[in-house]
Amino acid sequence: MSEPEIIALAKKDRKHFGALYNYYFDQIFRFVFKRLGGDEDNAADLTQQTFIKAMANMDKYEDRGFPFSSWLYRIAQNEVSMFFRQQKRNYSVPIDENRIQDLAEEAEIFSSHMSAEDQEKLVGFLNNLEESHLDLIELRFFQELSFKEIAEIYSVSEATAKMRTYRILERINKQWKNEE
Amino acid sequence: MRKFTVNSDKKELNPTDAQIKRHKDFSRLSHDYEKLTKRGKKPLYRDPKMFLFLLVIAIILLLTFLGEFN
Repeated sequence: MSEPEIIALAKKDRKHFGALYNYYFDQIFRFVFKRLGGDEDNAADLTQQTFIKAMANMDKYEDRGFPFSSWLYRIAQNEVSMFFRQQKRNYSVPIDENRIQDLAEEAEIFSSHMSAEDQEKLVGFLNNLEESHLDLIELRFFQELSFKEIAEIYSVSEATAKMRTYRILERINKQWKNEE
Repeated sequence: MRKFTVNSDKKELNPTDAQIKRHKDFSRLSHDYEKLTKRGKKPLYRDPKMFLFLLVIAIILLLTFLGEFN
């Protein structure tokens, strides 16, 4: 049975949603787990919440030429953002050094290995970015999604996703050079 | 709010297959979904049959009371 057929069935009867759940659970759980920096229990709760919302809103889902997974990613993205906003204290999300290095190279700040101090400085810059800009940087560099996947989550063209990301990188580059 | 930090403790940021398996459970999801979406009992004023039934009883009681009184 094809995915559109399963989706059509799941819209009529929620028991058919199981096939979609079993197929997409792993990637959504991985996505949420990484966004939370390896917090297993909260990742499980938010993934569960994502699928409950998807199940409850199946009637509203429309195929607009993007994969079904992008709709799930969008719900998961919103759930995680809401979770961060609800935290009374800062919620610490660790990022691998290699990812910070990739970001620095793409922003043309560093081409060689960064010192621990510079990594901390760059992470400090990131923490001052607007929430929406930070989401984009996170998807691209920490979640390692392609521009196509990012575009699908935001329902924009690939060129728009790329342009928005590079504008943020330019801003980071300028700020870095101003502080040097 | 989230605050990024450098993963200097080398914490594992990708889940293992065992972790994924532990939380993948469609029957639990269905159960939670049912619990959340299960509609409560219909309120009396929204159930026309029950409302009419109670109204008829009230009228009978009123008429009985008035008959006794007269």
